[in-house]
Amino acid sequence: MPGLIGRDAFERVAAAALELPGVDGVEVLFMHEWGGLTRFASSRIHQSTWREDTALRVRVVRGGRIGVAASNAFSPEGARAAAESAREMASVVSPDPLFPGLAPPAPVPEHDGFDEAVAGASPELRARGVADLVAQLPAGCAAAGAFETTAVEVGVANTEGQVCWAPTTQASLTTVVTGPDGGSGFAEVFGRRLEAVDPAAIGRRAADKAVRSASPRPIEPGEYEVVLEPNAVSTLVGFLAYIGFGGRALVEGRSCLSGKEGQRVADPRITIYDDALSPETIGLPFDFEGTPRRRVDLIRGGVFLDGVYDRRTAKQAGKESTGHALPPPNPEGPFPLNLFMAPGDAGLEEMVAATRHGLLVTRFHYSNIVNPIESSITGMTRDGTWLIEDGEVRHPVVNLRFTQSILEALSAVSMVGRDTELASEFFFSASRVPALKIDRFRFTSRSDH
Amino acid sequence: MLELAKRAVEAARAAGADYADARYVREETESLTVRNQEMEGIDRTSSEGLGVRVLVGGRWGFAATSRLSEAEVEGTAALAAEIARAAARLPGDPVRLVEVEPATAHWHSPMRTDPFHVPLEEKVALLVEATRRMQQVQGLTFAEAMLDLFRRRIVFASSEGAAIDQTITHAGGGIEATAVGDGEVQRRSFPNSFRGHLAAAGWEHIEKLGLVEEAERIATEAVELLRAKDCPSEVTTLVLDSAQLALQIHESIGHAVELDRVLGMEEAYAGSSFLRPEDRGTLRYASELVSITADATLPGGLGSFAYDDEGAPAQRVPVIVDGVFHSFLSSRETAAAIGEPGSNATMRADGWWSLPLIRMTNVSIEPREGTLADIIGDTRDGIFMATNRSWSIDDKRVNFQFGCEIAWRIERGKLTEMYRNPNYAGITTEFWRSCDAVGGREDWTLWGTPNCGKGQPPQTARVGHGAAPARFRNVQVGVR
Repeated sequence: MPGLIGRDAFERVAAAALELPGVDGVEVLFMHEWGGLTRFASSRIHQSTWREDTALRVRVVRGGRIGVAASNAFSPEGARAAAESAREMASVVSPDPLFPGLAPPAPVPEHDGFDEAVAGASPELRARGVADLVAQLPAGCAAAGAFETTAVEVGVANTEGQVCWAPTTQASLTTVVTGPDGGSGFAEVFGRRLEAVDPAAIGRRAADKAVRSASPRPIEPGEYEVVLEPNAVSTLVGFLAYIGFGGRALVEGRSCLSGKEGQRVADPRITIYDDALSPETIGLPFDFEGTPRRRVDLIRGGVFLDGVYDRRTAKQAGKESTGHALPPPNPEGPFPLNLFMAPGDAGLEEMVAATRHGLLVTRFHYSNIVNPIESSITGMTRDGTWLIEDGEVRHPVVNLRFTQSILEALSAVSMVGRDTELASEFFFSASRVPALKIDRFRFTSRSDH
Repeated sequence: MLELAKRAVEAARAAGADYADARYVREETESLTVRNQEMEGIDRTSSEGLGVRVLVGGRWGFAATSRLSEAEVEGTAALAAEIARAAARLPGDPVRLVEVEPATAHWHSPMRTDPFHVPLEEKVALLVEATRRMQQVQGLTFAEAMLDLFRRRIVFASSEGAAIDQTITHAGGGIEATAVGDGEVQRRSFPNSFRGHLAAAGWEHIEKLGLVEEAERIATEAVELLRAKDCPSEVTTLVLDSAQLALQIHESIGHAVELDRVLGMEEAYAGSSFLRPEDRGTLRYASELVSITADATLPGGLGSFAYDDEGAPAQRVPVIVDGVFHSFLSSRETAAAIGEPGSNATMRADGWWSLPLIRMTNVSIEPREGTLADIIGDTRDGIFMATNRSWSIDDKRVNFQFGCEIAWRIERGKLTEMYRNPNYAGITTEFWRSCDAVGGREDWTLWGTPNCGKGQPPQTARVGHGAAPARFRNVQVGVR
């Protein structure tokens, strides 16, 4: 297995770009990623992969004009060639009046995100984990899923003198267990350390759902109370981040939260923040232009406070960067990658007991935006949905499609779970959220399984 | 690079592989985005590396590296074999492959003008002018124009003796007009949403798009949408433009007929399919007006190539014939699993770092007759929707819901009132069986879908869909 290239080697290679003549500024973003993914279906390993890559992304500033070039040739020659290509592009475009300059030198918080056990995980270790998961299944059930171990080191250096570097790791095990008579169950674990991954526990949890969701019955679409397990809640929070919390959309009036700073947008039980520095998530201590990350409160007690900003949108809004830049050129603007919803005090069983006529939802599938300004999205239930009547889970139901405003749903929250789970979105991105009981949630059609 | 790929195959064989193939891939991209006549983003990327796929004892292993020294490549091949051995920890039938004649070939996708050689100044000027034209429309907030270029060279060698070197260039662009006002945001795109219309072609494709010529119309529609009513909620006749029909084909036919999905290999990610192997030749998927073909030999498609990433030659495959399901999209492994004699060559990876998967080629509806105007003229009452805005489908490709950018009421064969935020929902086979009009060749376009996600780790493929306007009966629209 490869090891870290390290800060010193990164700085030596970056120097070849930073010394480019004839420009006002240069920024080098470095990523070195390696890892394996053992994929299984029908309780056998069918696709198992490993890869290693490096990436250098060079941003050049010349008279307020910006060019960006990227290469995976990790060498002084590769860095210099990318810088020269970026300089050529910067020479043909008009100046960016909103360019705020490159990030100034600033100390980066201490960060302990790297687990040698994840970085060095072998194919045999992952295969053993999958076997442990499959061993939990009762007769008639089969498992599909993926066990992934990934390591990455990221560095940013610029001609203003800012240099930062950090390694981090990510381990995840996700499974869908299918059982007889249409039963299906999902479970996932995700974190920065290998010790967080208990394959047997994941297998038992998904298998239990698969058995209990057999022979689902159709019910009529309509408005229901819902108890959403954390993975389903992460879909709502993730889409709210995508269409709501980015500084660029907020400034431009395109966000569902534009102009709502200081206003109540959710039930007072709802608090959402972004915090890459928390040990309870994955994340890096700086963003992709070298600004140190910090916690940002987005919704507190149901009141929208503000979004997240990179240097350019911060200048646009007359604010400070919150350390949420994505890799350049990024026309979409900043994004909160490490979301949290604060827990409440309810157990899942208490939420079910408090539900008169509703649905217990494991997770949502293939969700997408319907109307961003109304924060409305659509998607399907999947892998375990049950009817609740008079405080008791009655029977599994055929999957339903929801079409629902996220902010309206968060305004109808009546209970918040005491336990949180980390759900993965994509690399560097995760949401740690509790279960929610929501009093009104709209299902608009039904599938056949 | 062919020698390096062959060296990887030899190293894999030495490490115990019964079968091995290696792909060296170099990908270059160029992307430009202009907003309100100012450059939003301009970047170039280049990436190269090599991936080795092996079968050891009937189990797959795959490893990939960007380090291209002979020693690194040999180590990567050995690691692929180690990964395959680890897979044997769980029992199961060994993988079998159908035969493929090993090919030796050299191929470039056709183009007249290399888009990477067109001066940057010319590209920037085109995009600035398109946004300037859009900005002349009063009430428009944001005018965006974009270009994307991709070039991928794939050098493939296998332990069966294949040696294939192909280079594929994709180019395209589009414009987007956004109007913001009164708590509403509306967008119109041209020629298609999500960065326009890409094709396997050169600069000549971009010159023909009409980005400047259509700018004013698109911007005007975006502003008009701010004042339009929401699409009413009703069950009605629905006419789709060809771009939206392309995505309808993509989600509710193209993915559903991928044989790896049918066999459960994608169960844990985007899901499986309602189709079963025994549905071939028997399932009425659609009305008899609907014939769907997967054709990797079509010139200009994002799913066009000479050989897939298993070295199988590009093919034209009947997927649905006169409404009856006929063939899956298959690979060497999955074809063998259901007793088919050969792969129909749909295996593609999105880079050197990825394992090839079954991907759509150019999955298209065969044209029938008439224009969009003819179909609308023949519709007494209904809704016409154009240009995709969002999509969602369940984990067996049964229940779907799509949003479009714009709609109009059809009354007595004419477009009347404009509607904003239109969407529609349905059940795959019910919907396709209700199709009673498919447009002809004159309104048929080979669209590209550049953002098709599949697999773990996630891969993004560029695939093609030829589509004409079409009409469907008794569709739920205006879902809220």
